Amino acid sequence: MSDPSLLSAVEAARAMAAGKLSPVDLLDAYLARIDRHEAALNVFIALDRDAARTAARAAEAELRAGRRRGPLHGLPIGIKDIVDVAGLRTTCHSRLRLDAPPTIEDAVCVAALRGAGGLVVGKLATHEFAIGGPSFDLPFPPARNPWNRDHHPGGSSSGSGAGLAAGFFPLAVGTDTGGSVRNPASACGVVGLKPTYGLVSRRGVQPLSFTLDHVGPMARTVADCALMLQVMAAHDPADPGSAPAPRVDYARSLESGVRGLRIGVVRHFHDADHVAHPGVAAALDEVVRTLAAEGAQVADIRLPPLARFATVNRVILMAEAFAIHGNDLRERPEGFCQSSRRRMLVGAFVGGADYVQANRQRLELMVAVDAALAEVDVLLCASSMDPPCRIDDAGEVERTYPRQARTPFNVTGHPALAMMSGLSRDGLPLSVQFAGRNFDEATVLRVARAWERASGIDRKRPALAA
Amino acid sequence: MDAKAVEVLAREAGLSRALDKFPDDVAAAAAQAADLARRLGPPADPLAEPWPPMKVGAPR
Repeated sequence: MSDPSLLSAVEAARAMAAGKLSPVDLLDAYLARIDRHEAALNVFIALDRDAARTAARAAEAELRAGRRRGPLHGLPIGIKDIVDVAGLRTTCHSRLRLDAPPTIEDAVCVAALRGAGGLVVGKLATHEFAIGGPSFDLPFPPARNPWNRDHHPGGSSSGSGAGLAAGFFPLAVGTDTGGSVRNPASACGVVGLKPTYGLVSRRGVQPLSFTLDHVGPMARTVADCALMLQVMAAHDPADPGSAPAPRVDYARSLESGVRGLRIGVVRHFHDADHVAHPGVAAALDEVVRTLAAEGAQVADIRLPPLARFATVNRVILMAEAFAIHGNDLRERPEGFCQSSRRRMLVGAFVGGADYVQANRQRLELMVAVDAALAEVDVLLCASSMDPPCRIDDAGEVERTYPRQARTPFNVTGHPALAMMSGLSRDGLPLSVQFAGRNFDEATVLRVARAWERASGIDRKRPALAA
Repeated sequence: MDAKAVEVLAREAGLSRALDKFPDDVAAAAAQAADLARRLGPPADPLAEPWPPMKVGAPR
């Protein structure tokens, strides 16, 4: 086998199960790539090379003994550093957590991934506490975009997106409160799924906003994302937001195509609410044309304006984030980087009535999205309105950050997936987003897979990872 | 919101240290919150309840 790190997770798992690939060889291929490119990309807060090697050797011995822990047996996984991994500290990419002791227990989602045979390779860069922007006044540098390291990889699951695109691991855990799984998936040309609120346990994950936080899978292909979700989705009675959803086989209908499915295009998001970059709009049109040619019934559909979703998201997020981080903001505000300090201080000035109004509006927005999804099976809309901007251009980061259509599905809790729609003239990833009915990730993944298969978009890789 | 009002609210919120060290950040945050409040408004239905609704636990 030439370079096993170029295999998808599904292909690598199949090869290992068939005895054609060793977990140790697979890990070594990824570590070699990490050794070549990590210094340029800053994906890792902590690379746990020794523990990953020990786990890979154990996985290999188990396979030799005829034991396979589960569908992820031997697959390396990167974990965003706001998610607990036993034996490693959770820094949240913050100076305030540098002295934190190693965590005793895995987060529930990490325990599930390990239980299915996954190997944790390390903790990944994020925006500080999953809210600051790409910052240069933190103890760890910001992750860079493998398609062009001068550009922003998106956030806050920056290391997850950048590491996948660079081919450092085939699977990664991200979190999404205002789009933080889907933003780096969009900027780095990988696949990121924010599951339905409550489908994946948040226990062991540093909270940012109890109402809006989601944990989700990120991968290089849609099938890999489905594979990972299969393991992560489980009811957790100790997470008050967890939902007892029925078990679903997410891979079952992946190859079923879109013939007969009804897809609603939320065009006003990118041609009126925010006017998208022409390249983004053209790539979205291409996705629409392709899915129609594949047999989907495609029609435009309207949702409430993006600004309304964004305002509700901001009010709830800022109020809850201040409730969580208020003590540190009062006692040691100098411990935060400037961008997260500025963002989180907003919560100190959000009135109680405003917080209640936002949650009243949230119910109306949930009803509006449910009504749209009674008319169609899946919504198609923009994710980012612009190609990823330069990471050192603070003005562009600030301008483009809110130009997105991801927050609606944090506010309503519906599942939403972002992936590559094409490349800009400068060779940077552009993106599309699919959203579906609550707990109907299977149909969202099915539509995403139809686009991926028809376009061959998963074969596009940055030169770095070729 | 004028500077005096921001200062009073910030000190009431226990943010004296932030106000002294990072007055621009505090002012920017207060301005953002005021902007959000202006945009928010009440829901269309005057009787709309917040989500999630109040729920009691199971009877024992």
